[in-house]
Amino acid sequence: MATYIKLAWRNVWRNRRRTLITVSAIVFAVVAAVFMQSINRGSHEMMLDNMLRFSTGYLQLQDYRHQDEPSLDNTFAYDRSMHQRVLETDPRIQAVLPRLETFMLAANHESTRGAVVFGIDPQKEHHFNRIKDRLVKGRFFEPEQAEAVIGGQLARRLQLETGDELALIGQGRFGMSASGLFKIVGMIEHPLREMNEQAVFLPLPAAQELLSAEGLVSALLIAPEHDRHTPAVAAALRDRFGDHDLVVRTWPDLLPELLELFEFDLAGPRLLALVLYIVIGFGFFGTVLTMTMERLREFGMLLSIGMRRGRLALVACIETLFIGIVGVLTGLATAWLVVYYFHRHPIELTGDAARAVADMGWDPVLPMSFAADQFYTQGIYVFVLNMLIFLFPLWKIIRLDILEAARK
Amino acid sequence: MPIVATEKLCKTYNPDTVPVHALRQVSIAIEPGEFTSIVGPSGSGKTTLLNMIGGLDKPTSGRVLVDNVDLTAMKDSHLIDFRLRNIGFVFQHYNLIPVFTAYENVSFLMLLQKRGRQEMHRRTNELLDAVGLGGRKHARPREMSGGQQQRVAVARALASEPKFILADEPTANLDSDSAMNLLGIMSRMNREKNVTFVFSTHDPRVIKRARRVITLVDGAVDQDQPQN
Repeated sequence: MATYIKLAWRNVWRNRRRTLITVSAIVFAVVAAVFMQSINRGSHEMMLDNMLRFSTGYLQLQDYRHQDEPSLDNTFAYDRSMHQRVLETDPRIQAVLPRLETFMLAANHESTRGAVVFGIDPQKEHHFNRIKDRLVKGRFFEPEQAEAVIGGQLARRLQLETGDELALIGQGRFGMSASGLFKIVGMIEHPLREMNEQAVFLPLPAAQELLSAEGLVSALLIAPEHDRHTPAVAAALRDRFGDHDLVVRTWPDLLPELLELFEFDLAGPRLLALVLYIVIGFGFFGTVLTMTMERLREFGMLLSIGMRRGRLALVACIETLFIGIVGVLTGLATAWLVVYYFHRHPIELTGDAARAVADMGWDPVLPMSFAADQFYTQGIYVFVLNMLIFLFPLWKIIRLDILEAARK
Repeated sequence: MPIVATEKLCKTYNPDTVPVHALRQVSIAIEPGEFTSIVGPSGSGKTTLLNMIGGLDKPTSGRVLVDNVDLTAMKDSHLIDFRLRNIGFVFQHYNLIPVFTAYENVSFLMLLQKRGRQEMHRRTNELLDAVGLGGRKHARPREMSGGQQQRVAVARALASEPKFILADEPTANLDSDSAMNLLGIMSRMNREKNVTFVFSTHDPRVIKRARRVITLVDGAVDQDQPQN
């Protein structure tokens, strides 16, 4: 085998310039593909993180009936020990947030608006999504006070200011009427438009009392260290709480439209990478075609002296692989360095783009993902490309007529 | 018992359109230790006959027997293995592996035969010494003259310890000195090691050194004469 590898390696470098051009093309394709994917995934990761932290979280623990009927009747008990048990389920769980959530009417003295009322633990919520940083007026409430923080757009529509009182009217648990007056102590500009128009945040105990749901929550939001841990953490939670009438739902399950949007958004870069690989593939094929055609006489000689077609094909396969491997490894090393640099020092957006992103409450940067799979998948693509291109020398070797080859 | 025998060997190209009879009823027998030259004008069928004997081409009719094994009935994959173990080839254009050194070119056949490393090393060195290239083991073909390359080709042909060696116009691309040198080596191998050589040639100097000359004319054996 060592001799075949040596033979293949030397054959690859018979025409050094041609091989270098081919390898450079593969390097370019790999770097470009990784770079495009990294930018796209980086943006997605940032967008996903921002959206999930302010909406559903990565995972939720819910009552098993909540998905079909998200009412206050389908809530579950939550206390300090429950919190601790969830936290201890998996070391990758970073935070656990209790939320009690329902629709109510929010009113001032003369008009009403639909609102989504969230009973939250402000400390835990802030630790998870820095919600206090979104305050544009006033302050956040203390856990035990009958105070509210509301979305800026809702406040403007109801012509309310901090210090005013907000009336909340609706239905509590088991159809009990629920109404209460809350002093608005703060106003936030929420990055999600719907939340800005509808959100009313109350301290969890106050919300539980208002809705006759003492000691109950609609959901526990669970934050893993990284999105890639979501499936594993979900599995661990299912193992632990599967028998407690609770279900674990992950963000693709909670927000299927977001997943579809990301998939759709990734189609563009994938198509671009495909086009790139097709173009590079033709260049690569050209090299292998020339390498094969100019050596048909030599192939014929090798078959004449007793080298089996299979061994000859093996040498040709190793040659094709060598070109691919050198290209991929060099490409991945270069891509790794480039992506690592931009991962640590993201490209900063300027002008209108920066303002638009900042208005959404996000950092005006182009973040780059450093996920391992975007590197090794390129290796897989080039390997597949290699194997497809290898079909040509294989076909030639299988069909080679020794006497015809000798006449070349 | 002959090492090579052909029985009424015929080869016709384009049998359905304009038939060209490359070989007509050729029956010859080569005994072990012969130093036989196949001669004839261009187009007389020398190369075709050598290709048949070497199992590189199939006859239209007739048989080729090597060591009493019928090559015409063999499948391609078996023929390749058979050639590896029984037939040595020396080509007009040397046909060495350009990226291998002289040493690697000679040892390559033994590697295909899966011989032991030590035996391979010993025999390669012996053969390169025998063809006078012991000092050029690490030279690649492009660093050697035509004569040197052809001597490596002879050493390579001998490496697999074949039953006989086929050489198709081995001196055609060599200058006089190189041609005589090569002939001397082949002749010595034949005398000292009893290696059987069958070669086609136009070269009168080569014909003069052969101990048997088979003359082909229009694809048929015209003369088959021993020489002193």
